[in-house]
Amino acid sequence: MTRRSKGALAVLALVSTALLVSAAFAARSATPGVTKTTITIGGTFPLTGPAALYSVIPKAENAYFQYVNAHGGVNGRKIVFKYYDDQYNPANTVPLTKKLVQQDHVFAVYGALGTAPTLATRDYLNKAGVPQVLVATGDSYWGAQYKKYPWTIGYQPDYPGESRVYGQFIASKVPQAKIGVLMQDDAYGENYYNGLVQGLGDAKSKIVDVEKYDATQTDVSQQVVKLKAAGANVFALFALPTQTIDALVVATKIGWKPTTFINNVSSSPTFMGLAVKSGANVDGDVSATYVYDVWNNPNTATAKLYKSILSTYDKGADPLDANNVYGVSSAWTMVQALKGAGKNPTRASLMSALTHLNAVDPFLYPGVKLQTTPTERFPIDQQILEHWQNGGWKPFGHIFSKAR
Amino acid sequence: MRISRGTAYGVVAAVVVAVVIALLPLTLSDYHLSTGATVGVFFVAILSLNIVTGYTGQISLGQGAFMAIGGYTTAILTHNHGWNDIATLPVAALVGFAAGVIVGLPALRLHGVYLALITFAVALAVPQIAKNYSNFTGGTEGLALPTHSGLWLYRTAWIVAGIVFVLSWLLLRGRAGRAFRAVRDSEVAAASSGVALPIYKTLAFGISAAIAGVAGSVYVLVNNFVNPDVFGLTLSLYILIGAVVGGLGSLWGVIVGAAFVELLPLGLTTAHVSSSQSVPVIFGAVVIAVMALIPLGAADLLRRILHFGSKTKESVQSSLGTEAR
Repeated sequence: MTRRSKGALAVLALVSTALLVSAAFAARSATPGVTKTTITIGGTFPLTGPAALYSVIPKAENAYFQYVNAHGGVNGRKIVFKYYDDQYNPANTVPLTKKLVQQDHVFAVYGALGTAPTLATRDYLNKAGVPQVLVATGDSYWGAQYKKYPWTIGYQPDYPGESRVYGQFIASKVPQAKIGVLMQDDAYGENYYNGLVQGLGDAKSKIVDVEKYDATQTDVSQQVVKLKAAGANVFALFALPTQTIDALVVATKIGWKPTTFINNVSSSPTFMGLAVKSGANVDGDVSATYVYDVWNNPNTATAKLYKSILSTYDKGADPLDANNVYGVSSAWTMVQALKGAGKNPTRASLMSALTHLNAVDPFLYPGVKLQTTPTERFPIDQQILEHWQNGGWKPFGHIFSKAR
Repeated sequence: MRISRGTAYGVVAAVVVAVVIALLPLTLSDYHLSTGATVGVFFVAILSLNIVTGYTGQISLGQGAFMAIGGYTTAILTHNHGWNDIATLPVAALVGFAAGVIVGLPALRLHGVYLALITFAVALAVPQIAKNYSNFTGGTEGLALPTHSGLWLYRTAWIVAGIVFVLSWLLLRGRAGRAFRAVRDSEVAAASSGVALPIYKTLAFGISAAIAGVAGSVYVLVNNFVNPDVFGLTLSLYILIGAVVGGLGSLWGVIVGAAFVELLPLGLTTAHVSSSQSVPVIFGAVVIAVMALIPLGAADLLRRILHFGSKTKESVQSSLGTEAR
């Protein structure tokens, strides 16, 4: 044997040993992710990339879990929440979700953000029997397709329901409307657009122009200019935060002042503030909400608890960012479901708890219910319209129930 | 046939690597196996780039597009037409070959940066086309494919990689390989020695795209999902980075390049951290370091280590069957 091949053999032996050692750590308990003292859940979020403005959500969720852990946990177990950065790109979501399931052995995938990422992992998780719960996307699939995908459930009001409310409002309150739509060119944008058309009913002919943009594209000025040129006086903005901010700024700069409808997922006061700072005039813009109004009620017990959770467990978080309220509220629901899953939670008992929700989540808008049944799988389906006045959102009118 | 020492070393090394790859499933978890399968996909993809760029000297930034073509072929045939997924691989290769020949046509007139730009445009355009024909491709919503175990994926990816590797090796050590290298080193000299430039250039593009198409197919099977974002520009760049790190113009470095581009980002992904920002920086730094210190990549480094102390002319030339320059 030559010196060279001896060296090669030695390397081989070392590598094999290392691999054997690493494989020895694969032991698991009966229910993955659940031990006597912990319960591990995980999710994927855009911490960077085109949707990075949502990166605060998992941090706020984690803050609430820390708060619960500090107060005894769930049935004596502490919640461990692992989240990874998928950059809102489904190609990253798939391997990272496999990592959560097969490597981190999570009990459930919780709160994962984005329509396309959730669609990309839905088949895998349902085949593996891993709960994919309270996903942070409002498409109607999660609630509607439960027969095919029993392990998947959404959380927030669905997008078509929200834009249907806008459509109804425009049809009845804006008689001379000429509607221009800016939408993301994917399933998320389509969901919003379809709801708007349904809500408009006979008034759908008032849509004068529809412009689309690609999720990775952050500059939408071209589309906004076209909508103005088409003569629109109502602007339906179905876009992610970055593009929404850009659109609002561009509209003001080119001297276009339509009645603007901003989808809930981009209407956080923080985003509105960014738009105003860049020169946008957003007075009178309309959106919809369902989370607790910490802006107009800063001194209630709920608002104080919310702020103290953030200041203790998520230092530096902006309490006025609606995404933080969203995160805390979503985490509240997850804790509720984990409690409902029993002293010895299984994946099936978690799904059962999530499909028998009937609770008052303090972090939701008063009057908005958290309710599901095994055949009615939209946890939140109520919301209220709001308009921007004096530097903040003011809810108006009544709560739209059964927004679907 | 006289077998040179270099060829013999090459065969021995190939067998050793194959045995290691075949034995790894005994020690790896299901998750690591599907990661291993993705390394196999990158192996095939980087190999495809190596044929057209490393051996034939035609720069391509569009391998991601060819992967998309193969990937969508597999996805559409299995999802819409109920094909067995393995049976789609040869079809993906054929469709990829055709696409490669078409893209290769401009290569007859364009050189260097201009050719790179054309292939870059292809890499940008193909995902957009997939978005537009959502009836077939599922648009941005994508198509879901059957799921497989990590072991199945690992075996499929590496058996495919093995077949592609052997075929490429046979191709490159023969007449076509000599013609490719002649084109790379000097087109004028190649033409005057009787190498038909148009044929060999388009052939290189076609073969490279066929292999990339197969890589795309397996990629789609590993992810059991396809949408246009899967084949974004980053993918083409990762393949290029893998090829540079592994060593352009060498078959052996490919495995190092593949492991590098797949395992480094995953290794850097830790919970709660926006790790993705550090990946491009590290990739960039490594590429610069490789270009400055070992311009011929990991393959050359390996060769230098193996031949340390024995500087006979024969051993330097034989060097595991490669003739990188």
